[in-house]
Formats: sequence, C-alpha cells, structure tokens
Amino acid sequence: MEMREHRIETALVVAPQGRVDSNSSGVLETAILGHAGEPRLLVDLSGVEYISSAGLRVFLMLARKVKEGGGRLVLCGMGASVKQVFDLAGFTALFAVEATLEQGAARLSS
Amino acid sequence: MKTGEDEAGAVRRLNSLLEVSMALAGEVDLDPLLSVILAKATDVMEAETSTIFLYDEDAEVLRSHVSGQLARDAVTLKLGVGIAGQVAKTLAVANVPDAYADPRFNPRYDRDTGFRTRNILCGPLQSRDGRLLGVVQLLNKKGRSGFSTDDQALLLAFASIAGVAIDRARLVEAAVESKRIEESLRLAHDIQMGMLTRRFPSQGVAMHADLEPARAVGGDFYDLLEQDGRVWFTVGDVSGKGMGAALFMAITLTLFRASAEGASSPAEVMSRMNRTLSRDNQRSMFVTVFIALLDIETGRVTFANGGHNPPYVLRESGVLECLSYAASPALGVFEDAVYANSDLALLPGDGMLLYTDGVTEAKAPNESFYGEARLEARLRGLAESPPADWVGGIMADVAAFAAGAPPADDLTLLALRRPRG
Repeated sequence: MEMREHRIETALVVAPQGRVDSNSSGVLETAILGHAGEPRLLVDLSGVEYISSAGLRVFLMLARKVKEGGGRLVLCGMGASVKQVFDLAGFTALFAVEATLEQGAARLSS
Repeated sequence: MKTGEDEAGAVRRLNSLLEVSMALAGEVDLDPLLSVILAKATDVMEAETSTIFLYDEDAEVLRSHVSGQLARDAVTLKLGVGIAGQVAKTLAVANVPDAYADPRFNPRYDRDTGFRTRNILCGPLQSRDGRLLGVVQLLNKKGRSGFSTDDQALLLAFASIAGVAIDRARLVEAAVESKRIEESLRLAHDIQMGMLTRRFPSQGVAMHADLEPARAVGGDFYDLLEQDGRVWFTVGDVSGKGMGAALFMAITLTLFRASAEGASSPAEVMSRMNRTLSRDNQRSMFVTVFIALLDIETGRVTFANGGHNPPYVLRESGVLECLSYAASPALGVFEDAVYANSDLALLPGDGMLLYTDGVTEAKAPNESFYGEARLEARLRGLAESPPADWVGGIMADVAAFAAGAPPADDLTLLALRRPRG
C-alpha cells in the first residue's frame, strides 16, 4: 500500500494507490490517520482501483478524526467502482465529494 | 604416550559429557533446561559458578541467567563488549587466566556482589546451523590452577550439546504457543458457527443458508426467526475480518434476535440495532445488513436495507430482478440514521437470494472477480432446483472459480422460495 503526498496551496493531498482491502487497510489506516490533524485534507482516490468494507472503515475513522480536530476533509477522484462501494454502504452523504483534484482543492480553499 | 592419570581424566570427561547430554535430552522447557546446563557446566568444568547469557536477536544484546551465589539482577551486554560480548561476537572460546589483568573484564560485578573473580572460561552457544544462541561463562576453576586447554576442549563439546538443547527448547516453546493460539481460534470458530442456526422452516417456504469464513472466525452472519406465520430473515457483513469482526458480528446477531422479538417491521429492528451499535463505536466498525419479514401465507415481504448488497428476486417465470440499492447507511455509524421499509410480493414459485460481497468479490488466480454477472448466470441455471441447491451450487462454483486460492473474505448465501401453487 503506497500513499503519495503533496500540497496544493494550504491543502495536504494524500493519494493512496492500488487496492484498499482488509490486507492493506491497516497500513493505510496508520498512514492516513497520521494526517487527521491537517486543517485542510484532500484525499485523492484516483489511484485506488478497489476498496473493500475494511477500506471504507478507514475513511469513516478519518472523517471522524478530522471533524474532532476541527479540520476539513474532501474526497476526490473516485472511480466508478470505488464510488459504488461508498454509495452501496450508504456513506456517500457523509463525505464532501468532488469529481476532480482541482475541484477538490477549490472546495477546500473556499 | 599418555600417562594413566591423563587417561583416567579423559574417561572421566567423556563420562561427564555423556551425563550432560542425557540430562539435557530429558528437558524440553527452556527455564529448567538452563538451570540444568548451569549446574552441569559448573560441575563438569569444576568451576565455582557459571552464567549463561542468552542472545536476544531482536535487540542484539546478551542477557544473563545466573546460577549459584551470584544471584542478582540480569545483566545486559552488547555484542563485542566485555569478555562474554567478545565471545558472542567472535564465536571463539576465551580462556582468561587472570581476570583483573584483562582489559575486557568489568570488575563492577565483583564490586556489586562481593564475589572475587580470579579466572574465566567462556564459550559460545550455537545452534546446529551455527546461529548464535548465547554464551556460557565459567568463573574460578576450583583449586590453585586456572582453566586448562583440556577444559577449553571440554567446554566446546559441552556448549555444542547445550546449544542444540536450547534451540530445541525454543522450538518446542514456539510450537506450543502457536498450537495454543490455533486451539483458541478453533474454539472461537466453533462458538461463532454455533451461533448460526441450522434449522430452516419446515413448511410454507423452502429456505437454506450457508456461511464460509475466510479465516477461523469472520464477520458475516445470517439468521432466521419463525414467528406466528411469518419468518424474519437477515444477512449481514461486518467491515473487516478476524477476531474484531467476529466480536462485532456476535453483538449484531444478538441485537437482531433481541430487536426482532416483538418488532413490527424490519426498519424498526434496524433502527434499534443501529442506535445501539453507533454508541461508543470508537473503532468505526460498521455492519451492512439486509433484514426482511416474509408473511408465509400471502408471500408479502417487507424489507429494509442498511448498506448491504441488494438481494435478487428470482421469479417463477425465470425473470431475475435485483432489489435496487438502498440509500440507507450501514449500521454503526450514525446514531440518527433513518431506515425505511420497502415491500415486495413473492408469488408461489418465486424465490430470493441474499449474499455477502465475499461471493462477488471472490478472486480467481488471474485476479479477476467472480462478479455479479457470473452469480446471476449461475442462479438462473439453478432455477429449477430447490433453494438448498442454489446455496450449495453457488458455493461450489465460487470455489471452482477461486481454483484453490484461499478466500479473501467470508462468503454467505441465504436462499428461499415459496412453494409452487
């Protein structure tokens, strides 16, 4: 499980790569929750080809932690299969979701 | 040419080694084994006392186990430090005739204990394949002289026997521990499987279900409850796998049984379960659940879906319908989530198939997924068989698809059909 990181203005962009399943979600959990204190966090999911329910849980935990810390979280770049998993579990409404990285960054800077 | 005394000494040493190997062969627990080694080393080499330092591979240090009068807190040595540390590093025996004349000797231990070290014989303990296990150190040869070259040779022989015994004791210890874990997992598996009902309705509707956990324990469940001409049935999937998911599964299943008792609709049951599961759920575990209530007489099905894969309805005509995706979230996340009931009419001969995503996400060796298309095709092919065969047939097909690869996720199937009119 690889996670790329860079900044767009004041927002930290984290981009997990590959499959987020029960084998890799523990690694992602450690990596991504370390950034939960960021005031502006943008998660770019365009490199995620598959996400399981164990992976969804990591994003639920992230949303909770970012909220507790008073920060803002936006998800972007969801492919069709990843979006379906969020929709199916009924979790899409929980997150601020934008289609592209640019739109995500714009939403965080507004 | 040997003198009689030399020969007698050699025989005595051989006998003592034989004694040592017999004593060590009888001991498989590490702690008593170390005591035996220390006692025998002191005895055979005619030393006043002895110490074993065991090598901690992870920390890369030696830790002492002491016998005799030098009982004190364990000493930790880095490789290369002191006489024992040097022996551990070089794997060569050190025979020090005058400890206080050797710059590697640390007199602090004597100062702490009041013991007076005169001479030292120290050798490495190695496994049969040459791994460093530790160091055995003998202090003060009894009598006036120091340790001889014969003592050195004897120590090498002694250490090779002791090394093998220590290595074996550690292997036994690891095997016992892993067996213990395996047994507790098997117990957990049996408890969890024991929670799942194997009793299906005997009349009014044909129903069958099966669950195959990916590991010893898992997060999937199914259940059914017969109640005054109605049957509650449910399938659920806790996020994640393993022991945490299994505990959450047990809570969810128990909550379902408690909530369905006296409830009037699936949405009501789901809301109750969700409120309890959402409270204090720090780990953000969640569970997708489909709950339905079938009126056996009329065939009316009321259902609610909390983020679960939509089940299939297989009409008697052969038409396959997919109950559309729920907008309601999985349980355990928002305490205030709202769940709604939907209705469905099952005519005589119509059936339903509920499943968890372990079925559609089963992977073939070439990384492709089993998928919904294959599941639908298989279900259509089984339409003429009873529901128990749908479950068995699809489980077998998934296993054939995975071609021996261990399942990545739990698999659950629940099938039912109203009798033909």
